[in-house]
Amino acid sequence: MKASEKFEKNKMENKIPAKDRVIAWPRMGRIDIPLKALLVSLGAKVVIPPANNKEVLELGVRNSIEGICLPYKLNLANYMMALDKGANTLMMFQAPGSCRLGNYTKMAQKTLKSMGYDFDMVIFDMYKSKMKQTLQAFWHVTHCINPFRYYKGFSLGFNKFFAIDTAERLLFYTRPREINKGDAEKCYEKWLKITDETNSIWQAKRLKKKIIEDFKKIPIDKNKDVPVIYLIGEFFVLLDPYTNQNIEKELGEMGVEVQRQIMFGDWLEHVLKPSIFYRKESHRERSVKYADNYMKRAIGGECIETIGDTVYAAKHGIDGIIHISPFSCMPEIVAQNILPKVSREENIPVMSLVLDEQTGKAGYITRIEAFVDLVKRKRRLKNNV
Amino acid sequence: MNKAYKYKIGIPRAMSYYNNYPFYLGFFNYLGIDVVLSDKTTTKIINEGSSYVVSDTCLPIKVYVGHVINLLDKGCEYIFVPSIQSTDYKINNCSKIRGLPEIIRNVVNRDFVMVEPTLDKTENIGLLDFCENIANNFGITDKKEIKKAIKLGFEYYNNFFAMTQSGVSYKKALENIENKKFELETQEVVKPLSVVIMGHGYNLFDERISLNIIKKLEQMDVKVYTSLNVSHKDSIDAIDNLGEIQYWANELELTGTAAYFLNNKKVDGIIALSAFGCGPDSLMVDEISYHCKEQNMPLIHLTIDEHTGEAGFITRLEAFVDMLMRKKRASLSKKSKPINAVEAVKNEEKEEILTSAVK
Repeated sequence: MKASEKFEKNKMENKIPAKDRVIAWPRMGRIDIPLKALLVSLGAKVVIPPANNKEVLELGVRNSIEGICLPYKLNLANYMMALDKGANTLMMFQAPGSCRLGNYTKMAQKTLKSMGYDFDMVIFDMYKSKMKQTLQAFWHVTHCINPFRYYKGFSLGFNKFFAIDTAERLLFYTRPREINKGDAEKCYEKWLKITDETNSIWQAKRLKKKIIEDFKKIPIDKNKDVPVIYLIGEFFVLLDPYTNQNIEKELGEMGVEVQRQIMFGDWLEHVLKPSIFYRKESHRERSVKYADNYMKRAIGGECIETIGDTVYAAKHGIDGIIHISPFSCMPEIVAQNILPKVSREENIPVMSLVLDEQTGKAGYITRIEAFVDLVKRKRRLKNNV
Repeated sequence: MNKAYKYKIGIPRAMSYYNNYPFYLGFFNYLGIDVVLSDKTTTKIINEGSSYVVSDTCLPIKVYVGHVINLLDKGCEYIFVPSIQSTDYKINNCSKIRGLPEIIRNVVNRDFVMVEPTLDKTENIGLLDFCENIANNFGITDKKEIKKAIKLGFEYYNNFFAMTQSGVSYKKALENIENKKFELETQEVVKPLSVVIMGHGYNLFDERISLNIIKKLEQMDVKVYTSLNVSHKDSIDAIDNLGEIQYWANELELTGTAAYFLNNKKVDGIIALSAFGCGPDSLMVDEISYHCKEQNMPLIHLTIDEHTGEAGFITRLEAFVDMLMRKKRASLSKKSKPINAVEAVKNEEKEEILTSAVK
């Protein structure tokens, strides 16, 4: 039990007094907007490192070991940039036992300390009693005791998460159908900015409705035949547009509607909401149900979600699946091994794309184009019969 | 127990075979089930396995699939594919090991019964459930019998480890277990150099995958320690002393073993042997190399895959051993007093003897 005690102690370092804390966390898609709103309303100072790009990746690659997966390299670089900008408290969530993710914080802590940085690491342990863990972690970094501020923070945070999710979904729907190219993208960017600036609960609650109204105004070609492709795979790669080379945009411009199966807001709601209030069938449960013929147990990571979603897509008339994962991701390699059989038996085209820091854009696009052609041809054949 | 019909179970000679075979053997022996092993790993088996899975999969899994195919070719009806999810609370295995039955089910499209028990202590699925699950496949439901079988399994398992810890080689200890013999090594072999190899059992003791690294080192007059020389408890303590936390289920074989020898300074160098693209290894080797740097311990990381050339592999080993020898010689001559010319000549002679011993 000694080891586990040490683990518990390591989880929340407490060297810096709460009022001096400047908080930073790794970038992943747009989670910075809601998290910033939450922490600022709890009275904390935050630093947001620059969005992932080539320089960030290079910095990460230079300072991490060769064999580790891509998300870690980006996370480490985010931390370094944030520390350079004046942060002194780093946050990270982890789920032990899933895959290498559980080791990220331990490694980052060691690497950064050996570089001479001084900081506190606060870890959200998403294993059991998640809400309690989360509240504890937020209390630990801010020492805020005012319950109203917690209410405000969480309500702002959640509403912003849902607003961003809604905007993304609408963007995916509108982009292939829009008549004037670029309208949807502009609208999306505009609403991201507004979401970021919103600072009252009342306004935050109305965000979702307003976004839907605004997207409806964009002129679209309703009769256009648009194939639907599910985007599934590893969590980080799916949510981070730099890492997946903005695959959603590429697909959208090729005239394909993308439906990404992992949405951060949905995931967060499922993870944080106590199970009595969560009435819907969660993504995990749905996947376990559908993947039953192929997988009998969850093996960590998003493997079972990948398989479950593929079967679900095949049963609901989706035209194709694109499965993306970082190089040497352990759960997704298992998924890659299972997918050919699922594809054959459920009769749905599946393409696996493996991404790493060497991925060339041209070859990547060629493969996507070829796949989209295949999907379109298949759809035409189906519609003619 | 109904012994009229004798069941046969095939155990692939890969993955958990290298760690738990004595236990499986004892367990199945008691239940009256014949154990059929696949052939030893050959290039043909590796190629066969590789043709079934995607190319990103690591070498041990390819080998495993190859062994399953080998067993099916032998006409086995039942094949034992365990899913060892976690060996303690929150101490999980690599996803690929956890998902072995899922991979086998989906890539091997042939008719056979897969015995796929789960061991998951995080979710309270313990060893008894694991064993009951196996036995239920053969229509054995008597809990008392199962418990007795587990006892016999542990007897075999403990005997095996008692033998290896006294210095009996892996191969010999396994032969002894199969022939129900028990012997201990009484003499400790002393050699000029000693190294510890940190690597998974399924990489290290498979003579094809590891390219017979243990024998090669012994031919160079190097004493080799492996995870078999360290007890379970010692390796857990060693990880603790190093200030690390066990995260992976098979971390004891790697970090634990290396940490044990790093703490007691019994060896001159550490060899890390891992398969290309192994997720847990990339982290564990990094962890140990961090501590090795602190303590000035030489470490070499050898990566193997199905294309590893034997010549290059040997060259790297030889270079490492030469380096260790030079280091040891330097440290020995530093310890001795300043010497005059006559003694220097004598020392040189000694060195020659030492180097000739290496050759």
